[in-house]
Amino acid sequence: MHARRMFLSSAAALLTGLAGLARPTAARANTSTAEATRFINATGQALVGVINGPGSSQAKSAALARIVDSHVDVDGIAKFCLGRFWRLATQAERQQYEELFHRVLLLNVTAKIGEYHGVSFTVGRAVARDEGVMVATTVNRPGQAPAEVDWLVKPVGGDPKIIDVVAEGTSLRVTQRSDYASFMTHHNDSVSALITALRSQVARAG
Amino acid sequence: MRPGRRVSIAAACLLAGVLAGCATPPPPSHPEARAEFYQTNDPLEPTNRVLYKVNNGLDEAVLRPAAVAYKDAVPSPVRTGVHNVLGNLTTPVTLANNMLEGKSRRAGNTFMRFVINTTLGGLGLVDVASKLGYPPNSADFGETMAIWGVPEGPYLFLPLLGPSDPRDALGTGVDMTGDPFGWVGQGTAVTVLRWSRFGLTALDERSRVLGEISGIKRTALDPYATFRSLYRQHRKAQIEKIRADHRHTIPAWFPAPTTTH
Repeated sequence: MHARRMFLSSAAALLTGLAGLARPTAARANTSTAEATRFINATGQALVGVINGPGSSQAKSAALARIVDSHVDVDGIAKFCLGRFWRLATQAERQQYEELFHRVLLLNVTAKIGEYHGVSFTVGRAVARDEGVMVATTVNRPGQAPAEVDWLVKPVGGDPKIIDVVAEGTSLRVTQRSDYASFMTHHNDSVSALITALRSQVARAG
Repeated sequence: MRPGRRVSIAAACLLAGVLAGCATPPPPSHPEARAEFYQTNDPLEPTNRVLYKVNNGLDEAVLRPAAVAYKDAVPSPVRTGVHNVLGNLTTPVTLANNMLEGKSRRAGNTFMRFVINTTLGGLGLVDVASKLGYPPNSADFGETMAIWGVPEGPYLFLPLLGPSDPRDALGTGVDMTGDPFGWVGQGTAVTVLRWSRFGLTALDERSRVLGEISGIKRTALDPYATFRSLYRQHRKAQIEKIRADHRHTIPAWFPAPTTTH
């Protein structure tokens, strides 16, 4: 039985490998730097278009949510942010957490619409990293010093997705993970305590 | 973890034990939690959290309202002018650190900034140098020691100064005592000027991050841990930026390097 399972898994590995040879683009571990640059440029244009464009703040929030859902690997970031607690969580907790994480992320993004009115950006260098391609941008806001914002891009399910945002050297997902880890460490390593806290955060935001 | 680091953590604990005590590492039966504890490198966390609370209370009661009032009462161009003057006063310390870090292009930029902004810029009021191609850069003795290879040590939360570590705490002290504007003059007028500079710097810096700080406090579940992470990441990025800056300004009289292949 054991030997058979081993044979099956190695056969599966071989087949995936062959499939990878046949379709080099789909099995590629990384996006090319040019592709990542194009992707960030297009995503940035879309974001700036919504933020500076016409429409009520409700319509803008909805449009931003659509961009986030299609361009950001929210589930991947959620998993990263839970860190070692991901394995401690039950299936139900994981699901609840992912859903709440998604809502909190959208709330945090849409809360900034007003602050970012008049925003513009320029795309800089793209550098290949272990985890993906880091695309540098400079974000300009009226009356503010230009900010250096880097975007980490990786193919997820065949399409390039944003997996991290690094503003002035501080990574969004690393910071978020420290926040959650410290919270849970001070709440008996309880994932359900985190879920309760996130739920009240969503409730407070209305 | 290197043994040296464990020793320094133990030493720091001994020091803080007098104040409020240390965080206890999780037992070896929880290797992941234990690894996280050492990676967080905040053995003084209980003490640091008390100091964070005190600082936060002071900020809510005094500094934040003052910074809000400053922003409301003083028009933006005046605040920019104040920011520029204060920035210009720090250039001698920045220049010294640029040189100690062996970054000649940065040192050249800082030197030109001081000369141009003090003269053409009216004692630093207008940042003319940036428009002429001499951008500002960050350099302090904490960063200089990092470039020299001094490790950061455990996290520290200092009264009034906020997030730090032993390297940055020492660096701040060295920068303050090394500031030539701290050496010159005496008497009441000089003392008043010195305290005004200190107060204005606090107002200027706080008023520039009003939105950011309240945003973090609103969205973080554990603001103390979030500020700790942000501080560490930001310092690391600044240091990496200095380390990666290989541009050099070679004086005209210096023989040009010959490249032989």
